[in-house]
Amino acid sequence: MALREIFLGPLYIARALATTFKHNTKPIVTIEYPERQKPVPPRERGRHILHRYADGLEKCVGCELCAIACPVGCIVVEAAENTPEHRVSPGERYAKRYEINLLRCIYCGMCEEACPYDAITMGPRYDLADDHPDKFIAVKEDMLEPLSASLQDTARPSGAPSAQAVPRKW
Amino acid sequence: MATVQTDQVTLTIDGQSVTVPKGTLILDAAKAINIDIPIFCSHPKMAPVAVCRMCLVEVEKMPKLQPACAVYVAEGMVVKTTTEQVGKYQKGVLEFLLINHPLDCPICDKGGECPLQDQTFQYGPGASRFEFQKAHFDKGVPLSDKIVLDRERCILCWRCTRFSEEISGERELALIQRGVQTIIGTFNDEPAQSNYQGNWTEICPVGALTSRQYRFVSRPWDLDRTASVCPACSMGCNIQLDARNNRIGRFQSRENLAVDDGWLCDAGRYSFPQFQRTGQDRPQIRRDGKLERVTYDEVIAFTADALKASGQVAGWASPAASNEELFLFQRLFREVLASPNLDHRSAALEDAEPDDVTLPIADIERCDHVVVLGGQDVIDAAPVLHLRLFKSQRKGLQVSKVGATDVKKALDAVPAEAQAVGILATEANKKAAVELQEKLQKKVKGSVRRLIVTAGPNGRGAKDLGILPQRGPGYVSLNGTSGKGRVEWPGAGVKALYVHEPSPLHGFVPTDAESMWLSGLPLLIFHRFKASPLDEVAHVIIPGHAFTEKDGTVTNMEGRVQRILKGIDAAWVREDWRVFQEIANHLGASWDYESVEAITGDLVRALPPYRAVNEGARVLWSESR
Repeated sequence: MALREIFLGPLYIARALATTFKHNTKPIVTIEYPERQKPVPPRERGRHILHRYADGLEKCVGCELCAIACPVGCIVVEAAENTPEHRVSPGERYAKRYEINLLRCIYCGMCEEACPYDAITMGPRYDLADDHPDKFIAVKEDMLEPLSASLQDTARPSGAPSAQAVPRKW
Repeated sequence: MATVQTDQVTLTIDGQSVTVPKGTLILDAAKAINIDIPIFCSHPKMAPVAVCRMCLVEVEKMPKLQPACAVYVAEGMVVKTTTEQVGKYQKGVLEFLLINHPLDCPICDKGGECPLQDQTFQYGPGASRFEFQKAHFDKGVPLSDKIVLDRERCILCWRCTRFSEEISGERELALIQRGVQTIIGTFNDEPAQSNYQGNWTEICPVGALTSRQYRFVSRPWDLDRTASVCPACSMGCNIQLDARNNRIGRFQSRENLAVDDGWLCDAGRYSFPQFQRTGQDRPQIRRDGKLERVTYDEVIAFTADALKASGQVAGWASPAASNEELFLFQRLFREVLASPNLDHRSAALEDAEPDDVTLPIADIERCDHVVVLGGQDVIDAAPVLHLRLFKSQRKGLQVSKVGATDVKKALDAVPAEAQAVGILATEANKKAAVELQEKLQKKVKGSVRRLIVTAGPNGRGAKDLGILPQRGPGYVSLNGTSGKGRVEWPGAGVKALYVHEPSPLHGFVPTDAESMWLSGLPLLIFHRFKASPLDEVAHVIIPGHAFTEKDGTVTNMEGRVQRILKGIDAAWVREDWRVFQEIANHLGASWDYESVEAITGDLVRALPPYRAVNEGARVLWSESR
């Protein structure tokens, strides 16, 4: 009995290796994370993004509707008034402080739905692990869309009229 | 609304029968049986105009819908507020209002507490059929340094212009232009100067008139609301302290018909930045000319020992301290330090008497002649008095504003057949007021009463509790043991001064003579809320709570005891009363108050008229004697 197995052993090995070599020819499904990342679905609810208008002004007006819509209360917004010298958003009001506690956030997307100006959306970024709780407080600068090079050229000079210019009389 | 006759009228509203006095508006009759009729322009304190058309209801036998805010009830009237036609009209009115109302609720300060938002949600159409460009007007117009006007948001309810005409009588705001181009504004676009502008923001049913100071500060749902009393003057207007993240956002009025009638003045409403805490502050003791930070226990021990060693000591308590603090302050000086040199005043004034409050504020309306001795000075000392006077004047009250010492002119102005005469004067003119009262008493048939406007939200309490050199608590005479008043201290050999200042509005502001004296004084203990120039010469600085940071009671100028509640939390600061208690205990007393309530209880036991605190009523000394 044992003798028979000794003779058939290489055959078994060959059969096992055949499986291995068969899979060698198939496409690779493993991704070399973090160097490579899998594309996320277009409606992925990852970390939030605060958007800008084409001219670089922020869309957020600091209305706090996201903060009140948030079921876990992880958003803090404080508004301030735009001045001709310091214009952050079109119109009168902008968010001076915008913070999200990403540890408390449940990524439900209610903030996105509440936003009347489409200023906040859930973004594609999901790799949010870090080594200290303080690092999970996303401030406005973390979430704002970067001003791209082309945008910076056309970025509104300070003191320019608002995007939705209001005529004096109708 | 006001009752015209006492006859009762029975009518039916939505199938419910209700009996109300004749001369009641349908709106108020409906309110009496909890039927909600939406309104924008109607205001309980102003005459009906029926311009917004939001309150249209169906009245049987009337061909068209009727405005509930302007139609008086009649016997047998049958009113329906929920029919299909009413609903259609409500939707229509709201759709018309929203045609030109910008939908900028996200940037509007009123958002979240806006009647237009709420009523659109409850009664309005879900969508607009208006597809064209909205009318645009100026946004963010500074109407004054206090108010921002957004003309687009205005729905022309006329509340602010009617306030300006009927309540404050200043006629500063008016409707300009006609039809769809109507806007509100001041004459020639000049800045508004009224002292009652803050009320416009409160009665505005949309976000057209908003406060500059509250601009974009908070949303209504972020605010922690505390019922309190205005810290500015002795009127004692009831306020709601709205704070966000432990910072005061605004003062709103909280109607008390007996005191403020639902209004606030700008001096009080916009006084809150004075009470914002800037950073943490620790007790300090001056050693070798330099202030050094110490702990509360150290500063209390040091203060107690230093006061004891000084011999001749004096105490100045602010008229903005609570009754509980003043009660302990007074006991600390009279009982523990055996010093009668107590004062809360800034100048030499006539002694206070319980008779100074014989005319309650609300009784001004029931007088037929009021003499304002000092004219605008009195109004400046308690601005909301003007609204009460103007309201009464519209009902027939005669008001004579005369110079501060013009007793003769005042005497001539009051007719002999007057039934009820009131005299309003500031503390500084009390002598003339008493003289006028005595002379009028001989001249007129009816009663003559006076109301002396004190300084500070608790100036009356300070007098009641004996923070006076010649009077003890309850105005008892201190024959033989009376002390020196503030103006006499520099020359009286006072070796140590304890200043308690919980409000920057009513602080210890030294006169020139006092400044000289203070710089050479061996010991100045400064127990205060906010840093002030007095810090430079103080030997001991004890941080205390502000008026807005503590519980307690205050007594307004008519003797009404009202509670103030902690709206801002500053827990690292030791309560002022606890500091007094610990100083006293260090000097051998054995006080064991655990809470403000315990002190209030003791205060009521010591001064029985103060039991009025439980009802927010007036302290009546004359009845108890």
